[in-house]
Order: sequence, then C-alpha cells, then structure tokens
Amino acid sequence: MPATHMKELLSPFLDGALSGREHDEVQRHVEGCAECRAHLESLRRTAESVRSLDPVKVPEGFQAQVRARLSAADTTAPRRWLPRWSWPVAAAAAAVLLVGVFSANLLREMRPVGQVAPEDFRAEPAVPRPSDVQAPSLPAPAGPQALPPVVDVRKIVRTAELALDVDRFDEVAARLLQTAERAGGYVAESAYAEDGGVPQGTFTLRVPAARFAAVTAEVEGLGTVTHRRIGGQDVTEEFVDLQARIRNLERHEQRLLSFMDRATKVSDLLAIEEQLARVRGEIEQLTGRLRFLERSADLASIAVMVRQKVKTTSGVWDFSGTIGKMRAAFLATVRQILSGVEWLGVTASALAPVLLLAAGFWLVIRFRRRARTSEIR
Amino acid sequence: MGVTVDEGTLLAASRRGDLTAYDELVGAYQDRVYQLTYRVTGNPEDAWDAAQEAFVKAFRALKAFRGDAAFSTWLHRIAVNAALDIIRRRPPALDPLDAAAAVTTESVDRMVEQRELQRAIHRAIASLPPDQRVAVVLRDVQGFSYGEIAAVLQVPVGTVRSRLSRARDALRHALADLSPARAHSDEQSEWR
Repeated sequence: MPATHMKELLSPFLDGALSGREHDEVQRHVEGCAECRAHLESLRRTAESVRSLDPVKVPEGFQAQVRARLSAADTTAPRRWLPRWSWPVAAAAAAVLLVGVFSANLLREMRPVGQVAPEDFRAEPAVPRPSDVQAPSLPAPAGPQALPPVVDVRKIVRTAELALDVDRFDEVAARLLQTAERAGGYVAESAYAEDGGVPQGTFTLRVPAARFAAVTAEVEGLGTVTHRRIGGQDVTEEFVDLQARIRNLERHEQRLLSFMDRATKVSDLLAIEEQLARVRGEIEQLTGRLRFLERSADLASIAVMVRQKVKTTSGVWDFSGTIGKMRAAFLATVRQILSGVEWLGVTASALAPVLLLAAGFWLVIRFRRRARTSEIR
Repeated sequence: MGVTVDEGTLLAASRRGDLTAYDELVGAYQDRVYQLTYRVTGNPEDAWDAAQEAFVKAFRALKAFRGDAAFSTWLHRIAVNAALDIIRRRPPALDPLDAAAAVTTESVDRMVEQRELQRAIHRAIASLPPDQRVAVVLRDVQGFSYGEIAAVLQVPVGTVRSRLSRARDALRHALADLSPARAHSDEQSEWR
C-alpha cells in the first residue's frame, strides 16, 4: 500500500522532519499522485489553522500566585514537616526505643553471672554493711537485768565463691597471695592440680571483713569470672547468745568456787570439783565457738577456683597433654558453637516482636506513601 | 529574550532556594507554559491550575534538575505532566464559553468569523486523545522540533511522528467542516 505509506509520511514531510532520501521520495510521489497532493494540502491547512491560533497570555496575577505559594510553602515548611514526617519519625523512634529495651534485656539475659558490675553486688541486700547497721541495732544497755553491751557490731560471716578462667595460672596464684596479704589477710588454703595439661587450683583467702568487697572485686579482675556466689550469714544472735551463756557459766563457776572454799566434807568437795570441771569444759567449748564466729566475721572468706584457659598454641615442640588440649579445644569449640546457636535463638526471640512491629510500620508507611503518590500523580 | 542570557545564573540561584530569582524565571516562561496547559487542558481554570502546579513542582524539583536537558524542555515536561494529571483527574469539562458557543455555532456566518474559528480549532484540539493533543500542541502551538518534543515527552522521535500524524489527520477531519468552502456540510456534521 504505497498510498497509505505515503500518507503516514506526509505529516513529517510537511514539517521537514524526514531524512533526505525519504523527503525526496515523498516529493516525487506527491508530484505524481493527486490524492496524496490533496491530502498534503489539507494537512498543511490544518497545521496552519492550529498555528493561526492567537498566542495565549497568562491571566494577571499568575506569577504573584506562584511566588505566594512558594513562599508560603517556604515559611510553613517547618509546620508542614511535622505532620508529613510524623509517621516515619514516630515509627523510627518507636523502633529505636524497642530495640534499646530489647537490647538491654538481651544483655542482661546473656551476661554471665560473674560479670555483674561491682555496684550491683555492693547493693546486694543479703550483705548489710557494718556501718549501716551499727547504731540502730545496738542492744539497749539500760534495764534491770540488762546485759552489758558486748556486741557493738553485727557479726556477719561473709563468704564468696568465685570461679575464674585465667590466662596464666602461675601468675594469678601469685597475685592472689599478694592481694590477700596486702588486704591484711592470708591464703588459708590452696590446692593445685593439673587436668590434661590445664592447671587449676583452689585458693581460700581470708581477708578482713572491711576489705571483703574490694578484694572480691580485685580477684574478679584477674580473669574471666565463670561462677560467682556471695553469701552473708548474720551470726549476731548466736554470738550474743554464746556470750550470755558463757557469762552465766562463769558466774556459776564463781559460785562453785566459793562453795568449795566453804566445804568441809570431802564428799562435798568432790561433788563440787566434778561440777566445776563440767562447767569449765562447757565454758571452753562455748568460748571456742565464740572465737570461731568472731574470727569468721572479722575475716571474710573468699574461695577462688582458678582454671587456666585452654591455649591451643603453646610451645611448638611441647606435646605433653596434647590430647587434653585437643579435647579441651574441641569442647571449647562445641561450647562456643552451642552458645552461638543459643545466642542466635535468644536474639531472634528478642528481636521478633521488634521486627514484626517494624514490618507493620513499614507496610503502613508504604501504603500511605503509595496512597499519597497516587494522589499526586 | 534578555532573560535567557542569565538564565543559568537565575537557575543556579533558584536551585539554592532564591525565590526572587525563580520569580524572574516564572515571568519569562509563564506565558509559554500557560499556553501549553491551556491548549492541552482545554479550559482556563485547569490551565491555570496545571501551570501553577508545574511552576511549584519545578521549583521543588530544581535540585534534581541536572541540566542534561534544556531548562525549557524540562519545564515543558513538568507542565505536560501537570496538564495530563488534571485531565486524568477531572472529568472532561468544556470551557463554559465554548459550551455557550456550541449552541450558537449553528450560524454559519458567525462560524467563519475569526473568533469562532479560533474556538473551533481549540475545541478540535481538545477533542483529541491526550497523547495526540500534547504532540500537536507542542509542535504547532509551541513550535518545538520533533527532537525537542521527543525530549519533552521522553519518547522516541518515531512515536512523536506517528502521534503527530494521527493528530493532524483527526484535526483535518474535524476542521474540514469549518473551511468556508465546505460551510454547508457543517449542519450535517452537527446532526451526526
């Protein structure tokens, strides 16, 4: 259909928008084809009619309105921002807050027992500090049958149990000794063993009660705390009771002694002697217990179980305990993998609500944004 | 055309948010943009709205304008889209003046008057499908080349060519009745 083909080209021909060859072709065709010539003429008239349209001038005030709209948008921008951005901002803020809360929970959940900050353990309610309780808990010295104020401080037996993983066992053992001595205490007990090339030992430090917290913190700094137990046993009552009983027995002893002075019969003397021995023994027993309590309260006990961390690279030629090291390394890896899996599980559980919320927010924002853009479109 | 000399300066200032500089650009382009939106939307109210929208949008989008096209081309693109948006959103409403004119066009004598002819052409353009309308307005009203139209509409030149061709063919039929020589067929076309 050459005619239709030509008709398609007539409009661009009119505009001189054809390539040289096409233009010439159309030119030649139009010269020979009356129909196309008529068509071209009609198109030319059409185009001319459209071009003859009077130029349109914009009505008055157009420019001013554009300017007014733009400066209005400029000044109201901060106010417009708030509603426009409130959704995403609110969503972001909520997400940040939730992530923060859950991270805190997560951290608390995953922190090993021993890595509690020192402040935490000082605030431990089971261990009242001597200075806190001193004044109010004093037994009243007045009263008809009041006992002399024998206890001026609450007697608390403090104990700590720590398990440490350390890099160098020997070094830590020496440091423990130094620490105890510097605190005015001593190492009451130490045991040492080697398990498959991994040295480990138990040390029992006795340090003055007042230095308990400081020493515990210092010991914890020597390695990675894997276990930690702090105990405080209030023995004040038992202490007071013991003192009272000892005093009574002493009075009884005095009486017996005065009876003995006045005794005339040998049988009486023997009976009194026997009584005295029993009272004396009881006094000694109670005094021993009293002294033990006193010492326990004065000197806190810190049991430290120290274990050297498994090192996979020791001496190049040192194969002693290689099997043990391998086993330890293997177990350590398995433990790490398991704890990693656990961590992933815990993290996923902790984050699941956050992610769900975030997804919800995202969908809402997307929906709203899409709604807005389709409105603008 | 003195404005075009420092158009680059005005653009740079506008991009920094200088409303006074942009005001000058609006002054320079408002008639052309309004003419475009008027011929595409077909009525002054929509034309005003579309042109306003175009200038406001252009100012906000100026930061994204990288200058890889002429500002005029870019502005026309925004204006065409704004006009098409309005057409799409609003039901096709005739210019009230045109509607009134449609009743009186039965008079052939008045039809040949220049004013009426203008209105008839305007109505004929307005009756075209939006794509063809935009093409013919850009070509024959705004006087763009095929290449420029392709740049404004972001379509290949071949598409511009065929749209324009179809638009003119449709206009040819619509306007044929208006030519004085065929004045008598006018009544027939009214009956159709």
